[in-house]
Amino acid sequence: MAMAALRREGRRFATPLISPNPANVFRSSLIPSEEPVLSGVRCISTQVVRNRMKSVKNIQKITKAMKMVAASKLRAIQTRAENSRGLWQPFTALLGDTPSIDVKKNVIVTISADKGLCGGINSTSVKISRAMHKLNSGPDKENKYVVLGEKAKAQLVRDSKKDIELVMTELQKNPLNYTQVSVMADDILKNVEFDALRIVYNKFQSVVSFLPTVSTVLSPEVVEREAESGGKLGDLDLYEIEGAETKAEVLQNLTEFQFSCMMYNAVLENATSEQGARMSAMDSSSRNAGDMLDRLTLTYNRTRQASITTELIEIISGASALEG
Amino acid sequence: MASNAAAPFWRSAGMTYITYSNLCANLVRNCLKEPYKAEALSREKVHYSISKWADGKPQKPSKHSHLFFLH
Amino acid sequence: MFRHGSRFLSRASTMRWRRPFSTDLPAEAYKDSNFVEAWRKAIPTVEPPSTPSAFMATRPATPSSIPSKLTVNFVLPYSSELSGKEVDMVIIPATTGQMGVLPGHVATIAELKPGILSVHEGNDVSKYFVSGGFAYVHANSFADIITVEAVPLDRIDPNLVQKGLTDFTQKLSTASTDVEKAEAQIGVDVHSALNAALTG
Repeated sequence: MAMAALRREGRRFATPLISPNPANVFRSSLIPSEEPVLSGVRCISTQVVRNRMKSVKNIQKITKAMKMVAASKLRAIQTRAENSRGLWQPFTALLGDTPSIDVKKNVIVTISADKGLCGGINSTSVKISRAMHKLNSGPDKENKYVVLGEKAKAQLVRDSKKDIELVMTELQKNPLNYTQVSVMADDILKNVEFDALRIVYNKFQSVVSFLPTVSTVLSPEVVEREAESGGKLGDLDLYEIEGAETKAEVLQNLTEFQFSCMMYNAVLENATSEQGARMSAMDSSSRNAGDMLDRLTLTYNRTRQASITTELIEIISGASALEG
Repeated sequence: MASNAAAPFWRSAGMTYITYSNLCANLVRNCLKEPYKAEALSREKVHYSISKWADGKPQKPSKHSHLFFLH
Repeated sequence: MFRHGSRFLSRASTMRWRRPFSTDLPAEAYKDSNFVEAWRKAIPTVEPPSTPSAFMATRPATPSSIPSKLTVNFVLPYSSELSGKEVDMVIIPATTGQMGVLPGHVATIAELKPGILSVHEGNDVSKYFVSGGFAYVHANSFADIITVEAVPLDRIDPNLVQKGLTDFTQKLSTASTDVEKAEAQIGVDVHSALNAALTG
């Protein structure tokens, strides 16, 4: 709601806001026909400035409110993201970190937000995803996208829509939780074929620092191949396996579970980055609005003073003319 | 006790490990005393929308919005 | 509107509520050099992204003698119940049966079934009911236990367990499709395990 309001305000006053030198705008809007109701040119100019001050104040109110909302959301989600950081580490300790694995079917899971006004985090996700696509393309290789969030969808549709396999949105109607993300992970597993899943997201570092990150999840077949050939996962063969009948079965369960845990952390980290970035963006907008308000107040006072002075001169000179 | 070690019956029924482990977790949550039960169940709400794409176009979007599986 | 990034940076560093994270590590940690090289070659304009290992808490190499304690990470999606805690023993509910893990245990990957996980420290024993998941015991006497849900035994309502067991036994006998049968079977399994945990 706040965003729509901001957009509306922004559109209404788009030109003056963008203009580097606000004074020019006032002069150009001094044309009498624009405000026919008011009498006297001087009056209009203060009126226009006053209107603009009001609108800037409104924008500032909105951005401040959005900043507060983002800050409170950030606090809640940051705790959850931090709590989820223990979840993926055991998998990386066991199955390693294999971004350079060379496989045929790559699925890039791009995580972004549904909403904008959060700095560059959505474009970063898309940029890294496209780069992953480029990095892993080759004669007999396949790259598909699974897109989370409206913003990455809007960007990827432009040049890579043929490669989009699944789009998931509206993740944050309820507070993010494991069940939700794991059901989504389940949907991905059921709908795409892959040798390697590459999850692209922004890891939250602080309100001003988000690290684009790629987590790799391999299919059970690739895990087994790498373990047996003594490749990247050679150590895995040193582990005894307690569980279902066959090793393949345990590996399948294990990689499915790994994917949902990795996804859960990735979604939370990205959502935290989103709120952090939005808070920063809104903070600097509020500050800019404040600066602009100061400038406008100055212009307003000057104009008013000028008109008073002019009036005084008129009165005095009128009086002295009468006397003379 | 629990039927173990045998080939997982849930996979033959078309479930993944994720579905299976979520079902188990949800059943445990349902056996909690209050207020833990309400707290655990309200934490795990599922809602999102998914659409499958083919040839650069979205197929029909299917909405998900449910508390979770049984109960 | 967003032009004044640099100014903001200097201000943000003094923000009151920013806090450090225990799980965070210095950024110069390990990177997959093949990946970074390939990336630099293919996409010279974009910095290579981080990968999870950069954020991993470092783990010690396998010591030559068996340490006296087992280091346990017991994690749930919404919390880390135990994080790097040194204990004497854990007993985990593997699908093949209860499995006691002491320091120096052989490296193992164990799938978990619904059942009791107990953590022993001296004379203290804490028991949880876990819904299932995985446990990895590493050669360096580290044990990772990952479950979707785990609760202290005293939070389980015995009446609900009994009711659930009856309901699902009933459902199992009337289930017609494979999915219904599987769901009912899971219900019976979980409630039996809960029942055994409470009475046993």
